[in-house]
Amino acid sequence: MRNLFLTCVALFSVMAASGQTITGKVTDTSGTPLPGVSIVVDGTTRGTTTDFDGNYAIAATQGDLLQFSYLGMKTIEVSVGNQNTVNVAMEEDAEQLGEVVVTAFGIAQEKKSLGYAVQSIDAESITQTKQANLVSSLQGQVAGVQITNSGGAPGQSARIIIRGVNSLDPAADNQPLFVVDGVPIDNSTIESASSARGMSNRAADINPADVESMSVLKGAAATALYGVRAANGAVIITTKKGKAGKTTLSFNTSVGFEDLNHRPVMQKKYGQGFNGEYDGDSFWPSWGAPIEEVAKIIPGHKYENNWDKAFETGVQTDNTVSISGGNEKTTFYASLGRFDHKGIIPYSSWDRTSAKISGSVILSDKFNMGASVNFSNSGGNRVPHDSYLENMMYWAETRDVRDYIKEDGTMVSYGANTNPIYQARFSTYKDDVNRVIGNVNFNYSPWEWLTLSYRLGTDYYSDSSTEITPGPKGIDGEEPLSSTGYIEERRINSRDINSNFYLTLNNKIGNDLTSTLRLGSDVFERKYDRLTSTGVDFVIPEFYNLNNTNQIFTSQGKSIRRLVGFYGDLMLNYKEYLYLNLTGRNDLSSTLPKDNNSFFYPSVNLGYVFTDHFEMPKWFTFGKLRASWAQVGKDTDPHVLGATFAAPDRYPLGGQVGFTRNSSFGDPMLKPELTTSVEFGAQLALFDNRFDMDITYYKSNAKDQIIPVPVSDATGFSSYFTNAGEIENSGFELVLGAHIFRDGDFKWRASANLSMNNNEVVAIREGIEEIVVGSQFGYAGSTVTMKLIKGEAFGNIYGSTYQRYGSDPDALHLEGHLPIIIGANGFPEQNGGQRILGNAVPKWIGGLRNEFSYKNWDLSVMVDFRADVEQYNQFDNFFSAFGKTSYSLARNDFRVFDGVLADGSPNTQSVWLGQGMGPDGRDYGAGYWRNYYRTISENFVQDASFVKLRNITLGYNMPESFIARTPFNSLRISLAANNIILYTPWDGFDPESFSAGAGGNAIGFTGLGFPGTQSYFLTFNFGL
Amino acid sequence: MTNKIIKCMGLVLAFFTVSCDSYLDVNENPNNPEDAPISGLMINTTYESAYNVFRVGDITSFFVQYLASPNPGTATDTMEPVSHNVTWFNLFNAMTDIQVLMEKAEAQGASHYQGAAQILMAFNLGMAVDIFGDLPITEGFTFETVTPAYDDDAELYAMVMDLLDEGLANLGRATSVSIGDDDFIYQGSISQWVAFGHTLKARFLLHSGGSATEILQAVDNGFQSNADNASVSFFDQAVNPWYDIARDNASLLLGGWISEQFVEALDGTSYPVADPRLALMIGATDDDTYVGTTNGTGRGNAPEQGARSTLVPGQYYTSVTSPVLMATYSELKFIEAEASFATDRPRAYQAYLEGIAAHMEMLGVPQGEMDSYLADPSVGMGEASLTLADIFKEKYVALFLHPETWNDARRFDYQYRDMDLPGNLNPDLNGQFIRRLPYPDNEISRNGGNVPNVTLLDRIFWDE
Repeated sequence: MRNLFLTCVALFSVMAASGQTITGKVTDTSGTPLPGVSIVVDGTTRGTTTDFDGNYAIAATQGDLLQFSYLGMKTIEVSVGNQNTVNVAMEEDAEQLGEVVVTAFGIAQEKKSLGYAVQSIDAESITQTKQANLVSSLQGQVAGVQITNSGGAPGQSARIIIRGVNSLDPAADNQPLFVVDGVPIDNSTIESASSARGMSNRAADINPADVESMSVLKGAAATALYGVRAANGAVIITTKKGKAGKTTLSFNTSVGFEDLNHRPVMQKKYGQGFNGEYDGDSFWPSWGAPIEEVAKIIPGHKYENNWDKAFETGVQTDNTVSISGGNEKTTFYASLGRFDHKGIIPYSSWDRTSAKISGSVILSDKFNMGASVNFSNSGGNRVPHDSYLENMMYWAETRDVRDYIKEDGTMVSYGANTNPIYQARFSTYKDDVNRVIGNVNFNYSPWEWLTLSYRLGTDYYSDSSTEITPGPKGIDGEEPLSSTGYIEERRINSRDINSNFYLTLNNKIGNDLTSTLRLGSDVFERKYDRLTSTGVDFVIPEFYNLNNTNQIFTSQGKSIRRLVGFYGDLMLNYKEYLYLNLTGRNDLSSTLPKDNNSFFYPSVNLGYVFTDHFEMPKWFTFGKLRASWAQVGKDTDPHVLGATFAAPDRYPLGGQVGFTRNSSFGDPMLKPELTTSVEFGAQLALFDNRFDMDITYYKSNAKDQIIPVPVSDATGFSSYFTNAGEIENSGFELVLGAHIFRDGDFKWRASANLSMNNNEVVAIREGIEEIVVGSQFGYAGSTVTMKLIKGEAFGNIYGSTYQRYGSDPDALHLEGHLPIIIGANGFPEQNGGQRILGNAVPKWIGGLRNEFSYKNWDLSVMVDFRADVEQYNQFDNFFSAFGKTSYSLARNDFRVFDGVLADGSPNTQSVWLGQGMGPDGRDYGAGYWRNYYRTISENFVQDASFVKLRNITLGYNMPESFIARTPFNSLRISLAANNIILYTPWDGFDPESFSAGAGGNAIGFTGLGFPGTQSYFLTFNFGL
Repeated sequence: MTNKIIKCMGLVLAFFTVSCDSYLDVNENPNNPEDAPISGLMINTTYESAYNVFRVGDITSFFVQYLASPNPGTATDTMEPVSHNVTWFNLFNAMTDIQVLMEKAEAQGASHYQGAAQILMAFNLGMAVDIFGDLPITEGFTFETVTPAYDDDAELYAMVMDLLDEGLANLGRATSVSIGDDDFIYQGSISQWVAFGHTLKARFLLHSGGSATEILQAVDNGFQSNADNASVSFFDQAVNPWYDIARDNASLLLGGWISEQFVEALDGTSYPVADPRLALMIGATDDDTYVGTTNGTGRGNAPEQGARSTLVPGQYYTSVTSPVLMATYSELKFIEAEASFATDRPRAYQAYLEGIAAHMEMLGVPQGEMDSYLADPSVGMGEASLTLADIFKEKYVALFLHPETWNDARRFDYQYRDMDLPGNLNPDLNGQFIRRLPYPDNEISRNGGNVPNVTLLDRIFWDE
């Protein structure tokens, strides 16, 4: 590879310098700087491109003709006079299909030149979604990108997966790298250790209103330049910059309301008790007598509609003020934002205050620099949604859940039950995150063919959280939330530093070939330090301080990860229709064993714009074919190698500190993971760009997967970090667009994307039959498991099934077509061995967006869907165990179960579904729903497809005539609605919600997650 | 110029490559050391071994009906196949640390540490075999394979015996390092470790049908008084786990409810005499009576507090710093009574009475009450009338909450007076009592090719 670099460098041999140096800035007609504009002195080989801020410098003599060309813009020729500065404003060229995308290191490139698929969305498409979380705003907009909101809690994380998961490790981050203005940032989600609280992914710290555009780099080809951290792709975020010209001020304000978007159907007939008998102290909320009958004896006894009372109307407010401006030498942008969100579960909240300032300076013809700093403070009260919903499950439907607190402040309860609202109010978890993301960058062009660029970035945050569960107040007869109470203080400091230096060498070889070579190195370091102190058993009730507790436990977790990378990137452009891109990178990671910590991976891609090569019919506006082959490596977490010992945090005890060997063992011969991907695609535009289409096929194989393989505890360890498998992802992506009405007052643009993904666990380590990714509780043998088995797909959910006649005992899959075996007692029999009941990775995802405008009105409608996906509905499992489902109304019926007896003969036995002594004199115990139905996972792994109205926005821009009479330059009013379920076969809360949070890969379980919401917004945008 | 660039870049690359090595050398774990002292392992393995007694006892106490769930149909009450992943993990985690301790102690010539570790290994391994049967041991601990094969339970018992013999031998040798306060059980008293080793030999020989001579020889070398009891006392910082349950229950996080079987065995219902220990072991109702809960059917109409007996904070078994008992003098006396029952009835009767007295002394029963209990004709029936059932009954009381009682129950075929199957019994048991724990889901998932296929009615070898 080194030889290749040298050869490439040698290409830049002849360089001439003459006359004066012309500098200037290239913008579009609105003043936005245009990066990557190619500038050539006509008739010579001298050429350059503008930098990220649109600046350029080129040697020319008087009388030379400078050619400015840029895809999507009309080419401009300017002749050099005696001036040294030539600023150019380029006009859009409707004739060309022009699109610029920002790729690695913030380098803007013509999409035309790229040999791989990339999709970009602009500021309007981001803010229009009204998502406070930047990740969620991509939902449905980009092909091959699956965004899943983990729930409806304020600030709750959203998960982004590009083209399927690459790492099988249950805890591995399969999400892309997030890069803000060329600097990678942390997007991890740190869940609460003790109870599910719906924490945030860290990209939520960024105010979406500050974002100018987001590009999604999907394949390994697109990300070879970022190295291991971008092995899952990259989301390149470009923030808003100041523009030369008039200083503008804008103010956006928005208010939104939200409620549940979907809910399970529940029975309202039977109330508290067991065996069909009412019992006001019973733990059982819904196995008792009909509520109506009990009401005849107990006045006021009624169905309390607790499931309505348990959820409030959520409120969001979002305000951003920004100012930007500048002149030819300097530009600036500053903004201040505040977002507040109160969730549908009482006492849940999250807010974010953000401030950003950025600027750029052209210091001389050869030197320019920019800097940006973004501060944010975010956090809220994270309610324990799991226990909230679990306690809702147990709460009797005839007791008002809102009647939860006594005058003395203790909980209103019965039969040792915990009131969910009391718990949500007093069992608090507050996080407070302060974060600074900043970068400085310098560009120096000693000669026009050479630019030296340096960028230093940091992402620093402190995450301070306090969890409190009160103990007893010392009041007789109280039922406290905990017998001791506890307080946990957690402090996290995380600091990323990214240093990136590269050279850009531009050359023109003859008239037909231009080349750009980048050579560079980057260094990354993350230092992370967590300190957790837990105090248990408050001495003085209701005084919440660590010093006021009888037992204190402290634990500390530190880590450091360093990466050093060297890379080269050569782009060759032949006659503006053939583009070849070669990259190579060598990474060194501190996390791998010394002998295996250096690894090289190359990529090559080719773009061929055949419409620029051959004369095509007039209607065939644009056509490109592309192909790429790429590899990318991946390291592991820091400090996982070998065996270590730990002192459990209960020590010291009696002055003694004990040690235990950690149950995780890291393979000392661990190798980096290697993903190899190929991609083929075509991009077409027809009928004067009225219709455009982009289709991509991809296949990637990630081998030498680093997985903490769960191993038998008897081995001396419980998990073994080793290279243990290979996963293959393949699929296609289709993007279609059409200007249905383009000319005239009424405009209609439709765009759609559709993606299909297939994956298979190609291999797992010899001797290991399966690797458990995660499991979730189900009653009486209905616990489900996500596990990896060779030859099967990632995302499979395994669980118990009905026994079936003629079933293959070795079958892995559910054999739903075979008749169910009915036992001698007349009830279906359970097969406890786990089988594949579904798959949690949607095979199909897609979105359709229609944008209409008529004069000052505009309407945007975005619908997205996912299909061929299943999830374990833990809610349903619980509801059936507690007699709350509508189907459990069939509790006093007789039924002959459809199926056959063990000998194959049809079942004819009639059995009663109720509890206790049946009308037939037989004792049915806890009854069909508890004894049989809830024990079979098959009943609860359900189709989780949906079609959602992701966003609909109706906007009105006030006419000039009105604006003229106001202090504003512009005023826009819009109404929007989000996340409305149009169709789903799912019976439950929003099927999109899942319990693992964005950080984990155990996605197939709803848990008792925070239910999804639909929301409605009113927004005003003022321009000054 | 290009040459210069190439040279420069070459230099820069070379510079980076050299400095990279040290820059990247930051992967040593900053949180956890790569080695631990034998003393630290001794501290934790003694602590965890005692805690394992609680963990197992918290399962078996429902089977032998010391405890009952306040709710109907709870899985441990009704003997359903509950997957005890955590208990399995903790048994093996303790044994792993003990294995490391044994190896390190041997390497250092610390014979006493090695001997004590071997006794702890025998203790945990024997307890694990008694509940699970076959286990993956000989291919275990050393990470030679990720799917260790299972050893036959009878062979594992032979291994337990060997460990005890070797441990006793090592305790008798000179040691390079002496055990001290890092030993949470005996604070370094080697003679008591030796007595513990012999007591365990007696316990395991009794299960596996050892001869009376063998057992009684071990008994003779075992505990001489309650002062020798093997136990770990808990701490303000790490409270006794039974206390924790009692405290939670007092705050209406229900648990630690006493089975009707246990209450009626002591309150004069099943037997003619009221046992003075009852009030020292469990809590009374608001009416100052003792009312148990029937296993499997829950508390019925009883409120969550005040109407049923439960563990309550502050008693012998349930104070903050209460010991968790691993083996007691009292147990040894009942072993002696059973072993000599056929051959030496006077010895058996004497040991039986001493076993009761030892437990009563441990609880602090006043001498007068103790004397009158022992004098009651249903207790002090005289050696001619002593039956094995009497021994089992008194051992049942004396080993309250201890896992050993489930071993006794299975050997005794659950023939305790008035002991009935729990309500809502797991239908797969066909009306019989549970005979073993199922292998936990984690182990089946990770080592499925080796895990024996068993039902809850398949017996451990010594129960066949």
